[in-house]
Amino acid sequence: MSGAADREAVFPTRQSLGIMKAKLKGAETGHSLLKRKSEALTKRFREITRRIDEAKRKMGRVMQIASLSLAEVTYAVGGNIGYQIQESAKSARFRIRAKQENVSGVLLPAFESYQTEGNNDFAMTGLGKGGQQVQRCRETYARAVEALVELASLQTAFVILDEVIKVVNRRVNAIEHVIIPRTENTIKYINSELDELDREEFYRLKKVANKKQRDTAEEDAQMKAKKEQQQKELSALAEGNEENEAPKAAPEDDGPADILAAEEDEDVIF
Amino acid sequence: MEGLLFNVNNGYIEGIVRGYRNGLLTGTNYTNMTQCESIDDLKLQLGPAYGDFLASLPPNPSTSSLAAKATDKLVSEFRYVRANAVGSLATFMDYVTYGYMIDNVALLITGTLHERDTRELLERCHPLGLFETMPVLCVATNIEELYNSVLIETPLAPYFKGSLSHQDLDELNIEIVRNTLYKNYLEDFYNFVNTHPDMVGTPTAEVMSEILEFEADRRAINITLNSFGTELSKADRKKLYPSFGQLYPEGTLMLSRADDFEGVRLAVEGVADYKNFFEAAGLGGGPGGPGNMAGGSGGAEGRSLEDMFYQKEMEISKGAFTRQFTYAIVYAWVKLREQEIRNITWIAECIAQNQKERINNYISVF
Amino acid sequence: MASQADYKDRQFLAVIGDEDSVTGLLLAGIGHVTAPPDNQKNFLVVDSKTDNAAIEAAFERFTTERKDIGIVLINQHIADRIRYRIDTYTQAFPTVLEIPSKDHPYDPEKDSVLRRVRRLFGE
Repeated sequence: MSGAADREAVFPTRQSLGIMKAKLKGAETGHSLLKRKSEALTKRFREITRRIDEAKRKMGRVMQIASLSLAEVTYAVGGNIGYQIQESAKSARFRIRAKQENVSGVLLPAFESYQTEGNNDFAMTGLGKGGQQVQRCRETYARAVEALVELASLQTAFVILDEVIKVVNRRVNAIEHVIIPRTENTIKYINSELDELDREEFYRLKKVANKKQRDTAEEDAQMKAKKEQQQKELSALAEGNEENEAPKAAPEDDGPADILAAEEDEDVIF
Repeated sequence: MEGLLFNVNNGYIEGIVRGYRNGLLTGTNYTNMTQCESIDDLKLQLGPAYGDFLASLPPNPSTSSLAAKATDKLVSEFRYVRANAVGSLATFMDYVTYGYMIDNVALLITGTLHERDTRELLERCHPLGLFETMPVLCVATNIEELYNSVLIETPLAPYFKGSLSHQDLDELNIEIVRNTLYKNYLEDFYNFVNTHPDMVGTPTAEVMSEILEFEADRRAINITLNSFGTELSKADRKKLYPSFGQLYPEGTLMLSRADDFEGVRLAVEGVADYKNFFEAAGLGGGPGGPGNMAGGSGGAEGRSLEDMFYQKEMEISKGAFTRQFTYAIVYAWVKLREQEIRNITWIAECIAQNQKERINNYISVF
Repeated sequence: MASQADYKDRQFLAVIGDEDSVTGLLLAGIGHVTAPPDNQKNFLVVDSKTDNAAIEAAFERFTTERKDIGIVLINQHIADRIRYRIDTYTQAFPTVLEIPSKDHPYDPEKDSVLRRVRRLFGE
């Protein structure tokens, strides 16, 4: 991790700290949700891949049976009907429609085959010879195509799921490895910045307090000196007792004011 | 009596064809073939019979190229026999090829209707049905031109004339056109073997009548069965039935009225063979409506009607060789060879698709 | 990701294959020719004479241009001829499905999707 460099460009304030903390929480929730989605999809995906594998193998067999039934037609008709079939094909009897299935919010299309009624391009094929084989072959092939359609659905699902899983995983990884660390970094940065500020502030206040103390001490000293001087004067005069009291009250007033300021400072620190 | 002069012109041909017949694969060969694990093994098994023709195939060839090579052999043998035939036998052999020609012309009609380049179609045509003037047909760009060229250039003209106009080619389903032609062809062939002075009263007429009658019946039954559930009306269907055969006329009349499998069964009741076929097929397939035999993953249960027809055809063809001094053996040989090619293709297909359980569905009569 | 409208009217299958595969699939009834004047077919027969550019063009047409095709079936041995196109094709729609052909048995190792499946399982 690239440390302090990888963080968001924010001012290290208490407000953005709050935002970042919310963001981190959101990212963590999103991560766990996406992770679960990805797991659900992967489960489905594995199931589909397994079925594709099976179906592809089965298809080989189905197509062989179908080819054999075509061979049977060739046998019975006694010639190749390929050209005639190609030319008489006009309108598809065997069609497909797509429907959807919802897997964890992903729409998977599935093909469904259906045969339109009353639409037969090859009814007459093999009229004189082999017509029954032709009909039978049509049915065999129709069954084979149904299997193929099923396989095609699986394959489409495979391709789409593959894509979706990749996207989801990318998001999961992005959250896990980029967004969360970055947010954490930012929070750390803000915290450290704030701490720094606090320390500075604390130091400053300490300095201020020190100065004030010094000032007070000085004042006290002055006061003391004054008092001593007055006392000296008093003792010298020996009769100014009333006057002695008033200057004594003045330093006592200063004291409380000092304490108030100090309390305010403490508040700022904590 | 016919034996007196037959060999003057045709003895050599008969000898050759009988030789070819002996070259057909036997039950033992087929049993060996079904044991093969790969197409290469199969090729090896076919070596003695087809050696030269299969030599050019790549290792593990596709079944279709195997079938094509096997057909090549039949074609070259047929051409050899045809080249040596004279007189009425030559005409007879031409008649044999007309059936394939009908298929080829039907193919060209399909191509022309869809405005394809028909030249590409030439290589798809059955080689036995090729005729010299065939490329001329490819020049035609619309169906009317094609119709006229067919009338002028091909021996099939009589089959078009009177029953099909050029508008019909445009409007009717190609299968109807094909079956109309085939019906006319069968009738003409039947007429030919029964009226030609060289053949009347000879074994040729006898055997060929049997074969052609069977063929006519088979087509009538098939057309009826296959037309259920299609737009082919009963009246149109009736026009496709050949006007001879064991079913003609009562059977075909009943066929023309049949609505379902049961109706067909009733119609053919009068002929013992067909009755048996239907009973066998009726038990196995659970038929009804179009595409009967549809059950299961492809008719592994017993044999279909078509199979039994093929079997019967092969038996008749085999029977033809018990007669001497007849042209029918040429026809029978061609049919037997065709079946052999189908069998080979079938076996190859079963091996290639790894479907050994049905490999024994071939038809062998030797 | 696919939106609703993207696949709602995809109702046809398309096929690029050898003659037998195409014939069989057409028999099943998937063949469709669009209304004139463009008369577009949704199938292409490939043989040894068809060049790769034609296959690619058809693939392009079925996958990108036409909006009514939901599934493209292609014979595996033909897919091999334009393998790089198939491998780089990642759209969900239309789905491209490699199918075996009669003369070329299915080889799961070559299938672009199956290969992805394998990679994911770390095999």
